[in-house]
Amino acid sequence: MKKPDETVVRETIYIASWTLILSAVLESVFLITGLWKPDVLFGNLLSAAGAVLNFFLMGLSVQNALDKEEKDASQLMRFSQSMRMFMLLAIGALGVLFFDPVASIVPLFFPRIAVMFRPLFGNKDVPSGDIASGPADDEAGHEGGESIK
Amino acid sequence: MELAIGIILGCCALGAGLAMIAGIGPGIGEGNAVAKACEAIGRQPESRSAVTTTMLMGCAVAETTGLYALVIAILLLFLAPGRLVNILVETMNTLG
Repeated sequence: MKKPDETVVRETIYIASWTLILSAVLESVFLITGLWKPDVLFGNLLSAAGAVLNFFLMGLSVQNALDKEEKDASQLMRFSQSMRMFMLLAIGALGVLFFDPVASIVPLFFPRIAVMFRPLFGNKDVPSGDIASGPADDEAGHEGGESIK
Repeated sequence: MELAIGIILGCCALGAGLAMIAGIGPGIGEGNAVAKACEAIGRQPESRSAVTTTMLMGCAVAETTGLYALVIAILLLFLAPGRLVNILVETMNTLG
């Protein structure tokens, strides 16, 4: 199996952090409303782990697909998406049947919420514009983008 | 009574199946997006990291549509039949 790319690991950690924070918020809401029971915690843990695993597997698929030809990449992503859907179906079904339904379903959307907050707390050192036209180092070793007087 | 329960279970299963049609879209969308990303990386190999990051975020967003459908399907398959059958039984008992 290929080693996960640094970008994939970094983004997965970002998503996992947000999932953890949002899971804590979900548990707090259940505690405040007096609806908390162990089923809520276990359902939340199962579903949050599934959501992060889904994102990580998607990252691995994207990483593998980027090394392939366009057509193969497209097919690989479709296959990967179908398999991940089955995985999430199994996780969701387990959660709904054996744990709290709400606590098992809601964490599946936490990665989406994390992506929504990405522009606010995202990695600032990744340029969002034209990468090729970024500042280049000059021959004297000075960093680009600064005026040398 | 058995016929009514059968209809409820059948409709729930049919609804779940119909909901999962929405799961096809994200797969096609992700496939097309990754294909274009391959093309972009082929043109500019140095942009691989930035393209991968954008791709991951884009795929996560695209997949949410499929997740909505999945959640509806899960609820229709595992939660709705029991509740609907209970409602039916209670209604029948009330009516005598």
